[in-house]
Amino acid sequence: MSNMQLPRRTFLRGLGTAIALPTLEAMIPARALAAGNAKFPTRMAFIYIPNGVIQEKWNVKGEGKDYQFSHILEPLAKHRDDMLVFSGLAHDKARANGDGAGDHARANATFLTGAQARKTSGADIKLGVSVDQIAAQKIGDQTRLSSLELSSDGVRLSGRCDSGYSCAYQFNLAWKNASSPMPPESNPKAVFDRLFAGGSKKERDENKVRRERYRKSILDFALEDAKRLEKKLGYTDKRKLDEYLDSIRELEKRIEAMAKANVELPDGFSVPAGKPRDFGAHVRLMSDMMALAFQTDSTRIASYLLAHDGDNRSYPHLGVRQGHHSISHHRNAKDKVEDLTKINRYHCILFAHFLDRLKSIKEGDGTLLDHSMIVYGGAIGDGNRHTHHDLPVLLAGNANGAIETGRHVRYPTNTPMANLFLNMLDIMGTPTDRLGDSTGRLKNLS
Amino acid sequence: MRIFTYILFGTICGLTAFAADPAKAKFEKDILPLIEDHCFACHGDGQEKGGIKFDDFKKAGDVHRGYKLWEQVFRKVRAGEMPPEGRKKRPNKEEQTLIAGWIRHSLDDFYVNSPPDPGRVTVRRLNRTEYNNVIRDLMMVDFQPAKDFPADDSGHGFDNIGDVLSMSPLLLEKYLAAAEKIAEQAVAVPEQGKPMDPKKITDFQRHYFRYPIPQGERREAAVEFVRKFLRRAYRRDIEQDEAKRIMVLAGQAMVDGGSFEEAVRLAVMATLVSPHFIFRWELDGAPDNPKAIRSLNEFELASRLSFFIWSSLPDEKLLQLARQGELRKNLSAEVSRMLKDDRAKSLVENFAGQWLELRNLNVYRPDRKLFPTYTPELRDDMRRETELLFGHVMRENRSVLELLSADYSFLNARLAKHYGVKNIAGNQFRQVSLKGTGRGGILGHASILTVTSDPNRTSPVKRGKYVLENILGTPPPPPPPDVPELEVVGADKGTLREQMVKHRTNAVCASCHEKMDPIGFAFEHFDAIGRYRAKDNGQPIDAAGKLDSGEAFKNAAELRQILTNKKSDLFARCLTEKMLTYALGRGLEYYDKRTVDTIVKRLQSKGYRFNELIGGIVTSLPFDMKRGEAGK
Repeated sequence: MSNMQLPRRTFLRGLGTAIALPTLEAMIPARALAAGNAKFPTRMAFIYIPNGVIQEKWNVKGEGKDYQFSHILEPLAKHRDDMLVFSGLAHDKARANGDGAGDHARANATFLTGAQARKTSGADIKLGVSVDQIAAQKIGDQTRLSSLELSSDGVRLSGRCDSGYSCAYQFNLAWKNASSPMPPESNPKAVFDRLFAGGSKKERDENKVRRERYRKSILDFALEDAKRLEKKLGYTDKRKLDEYLDSIRELEKRIEAMAKANVELPDGFSVPAGKPRDFGAHVRLMSDMMALAFQTDSTRIASYLLAHDGDNRSYPHLGVRQGHHSISHHRNAKDKVEDLTKINRYHCILFAHFLDRLKSIKEGDGTLLDHSMIVYGGAIGDGNRHTHHDLPVLLAGNANGAIETGRHVRYPTNTPMANLFLNMLDIMGTPTDRLGDSTGRLKNLS
Repeated sequence: MRIFTYILFGTICGLTAFAADPAKAKFEKDILPLIEDHCFACHGDGQEKGGIKFDDFKKAGDVHRGYKLWEQVFRKVRAGEMPPEGRKKRPNKEEQTLIAGWIRHSLDDFYVNSPPDPGRVTVRRLNRTEYNNVIRDLMMVDFQPAKDFPADDSGHGFDNIGDVLSMSPLLLEKYLAAAEKIAEQAVAVPEQGKPMDPKKITDFQRHYFRYPIPQGERREAAVEFVRKFLRRAYRRDIEQDEAKRIMVLAGQAMVDGGSFEEAVRLAVMATLVSPHFIFRWELDGAPDNPKAIRSLNEFELASRLSFFIWSSLPDEKLLQLARQGELRKNLSAEVSRMLKDDRAKSLVENFAGQWLELRNLNVYRPDRKLFPTYTPELRDDMRRETELLFGHVMRENRSVLELLSADYSFLNARLAKHYGVKNIAGNQFRQVSLKGTGRGGILGHASILTVTSDPNRTSPVKRGKYVLENILGTPPPPPPPDVPELEVVGADKGTLREQMVKHRTNAVCASCHEKMDPIGFAFEHFDAIGRYRAKDNGQPIDAAGKLDSGEAFKNAAELRQILTNKKSDLFARCLTEKMLTYALGRGLEYYDKRTVDTIVKRLQSKGYRFNELIGGIVTSLPFDMKRGEAGK
């Protein structure tokens, strides 16, 4: 077994010192290796960008292998061979379909579910299970965390969200079922703690065994309390208790897996200090955490809300002083179009950082990126008009050879984006017949 | 469900000019023919587009039974969304007004005359604020353990709504980790094999134990601790079995050779993760029977009171009264006591903070180059000012109308300078007269003027919408889909007002912007961070306008007078609805209209005193009682 260094440049900033980690080979359970013909497991992630893009600056020219990069995508040029750019995908369920205003909430909600969010600000939220959770429910038990949900949103707006839609739609990408979102974590330190159970090695060794046992007793105790309650509840309260029961069971599994997995971090590591104030630094650190989670096979499934749809932060270091959402309604005013282009492009720079990281991590003869498929995009096309077709979407990584990258593929306008998800679930070994408004699988992926 | 909001502002947009009186219209004769004419092509005679058909509605009573659908119909017809554009035959303006007006009138009538119903609150999980406060009060440690919990979702404008407070593995993991941290802080343990160091004993330990505890009295001390602690943590009396199970669990630590204190820690941790602690249960004998209406028991009432006013658990006094069955008898005295207690600042921070959107100041970033004086300190002062005024009205039991009309405020040197008020020194806030400054009431507060602005300029639309929504309780419907916000391009062409006349040229926009924009323009003398200004873009400011209901004003001061004197009922109703929502932790339903009416009347007859509002809420049917729900 050989130890390897994470690339220092990016990691030092967040972690203080570099962490040496055992290679994945050492950590994949033997059965997984045997079952998968010693292939590396395929990882899947989704990254969401809000508020649409300036489409003429996003769209690439030409099709197939000989397409021309666009201005916005240009920061990703070095990853060209590992990318598949899509045109023509749409999210019909992000459209009003009779429900009036609220395109931002709907876009955010629909992105991974392909489902129409029920317009309600309180009771009876209803959407649909998301693509990542379908996979997580089937293969999540093979890793310590069945899935990882991240966001870099800061303080949440209070009170009303978009046009009468519950805030749950606008701040979550992952949905365990139609009514239960999986809230994302925005503090990189907390993510790190979840991945490695916190504490120094010494502390872990001394207390680990006993603490794990107490945790288990406490959860057993709580589970017993909940079971006794269950019999006394009406429909809605029971649903709330079910969420609690599920969480207990999930946590018990996790604690058990954690104890077994025995992911040992060597002495001397320090954890991320907290949430960086600077948005770019925050996103890079979260991306590093996601890469770390994949690298250590702590999970194979992740979703990352770069910012919620409708986000109105400004980007002063780009010279963009107005809020992102305000600018997205540019009405073709030249200065705003330029500003939005800058933001769109900047997000690609941040995404390129993530791809750099994945590529820098060797696995067998390839890299972590070779064993991943990372979807990057949003559910609004033109932010000015709130359209939900011709979505900005691309995919990076060839998923162990299942996807032929290095191309631009054009599908007929209004092809459901959920169709792509069906393909991805096939690749993950968790096929399903239908997801949201899917109509079938995409052709021409491999 | 948004039914209730529509009841109250139904008459606002587009229904002012009646040709026929909708109140006098008859369903069979006047309305049904119009529905058949305009809707049946898709929703009748065998057609049921979108799963909606009207064939079965033959009488007004049928409409009442199908009120949920007809609220939708009302909304669509009023907004002109149905029948959809492009259909050859669409109702004319008068017909549209008649249909919407009749639905509104008829449903409102039905709502007020339906049998009393307390409704049902979905079990509430402690939200982040409540969790922090509860830990502070229960464990006597104050370190905001919920800081890193995932954000709570809000519904109906508040983050304490049972239906949207969900639970996830991530959150439970946080609860578990927090419980460990809290137990460590609240319960000191002795060094291995040594007696407890008296200097290390915590407030929590002092409260529950008398140190030193002789070896032989430990068991007794533990039993006593578990009984007292669980009662407080679960906010009720506990069953024998519950105490026993905790004892068994805690004993595990002793079996492992741990100290007595380590066992106490384990008991604390288990309690803090139990569903009895994390959720506020109100268990029913017949939870699936919507007809089974019951009064809350007094423990449940104590919790509702304390979480409403303190955002925390009941104190010993409340629990004691509940145990004796004396709480209802002493309700009014207890509420007064609670409002005077320091913990009532939670009502200000959480209720007022969300109702008036003060919390959004934290995410709002004015352009630094244009507004260099806007610092985090000034921002906090702004929020503080509004909290102080609300707290003043609350503690002094003043008229809630003073929130709108106060000719005084609370300033420190920094905020006074911001306002151009002279001779105020130091960081402390004090009451200051605002006579002659043009400012007054919360609508003159920089906090509100700022959260309703864009980063680089004022937004009369946002300010107008804010007043309609949060002060008058008559929110405009959301803009139709696919219409981007009207943005002003090129800021060098006259005042904002001159540029925004564009809003009125488009008929679709005009119907609502005619109501919002004039209100917003009244505040144009205050810039995007609430400073007074005489000119905009070098031009004198025209702040004059007219409300939709006809009252004219020259500036914000006159508008304030109109709101205070002529719109006091709307304001009282709006505040009542918001506070009732917050107090109950659920959205209001049609059957709550009766409750709101009663509270508003009580306010009116008692000089709008703050305590009457609270008193009206805590004695209301939905606060005092509950029922089962129909199983699904």
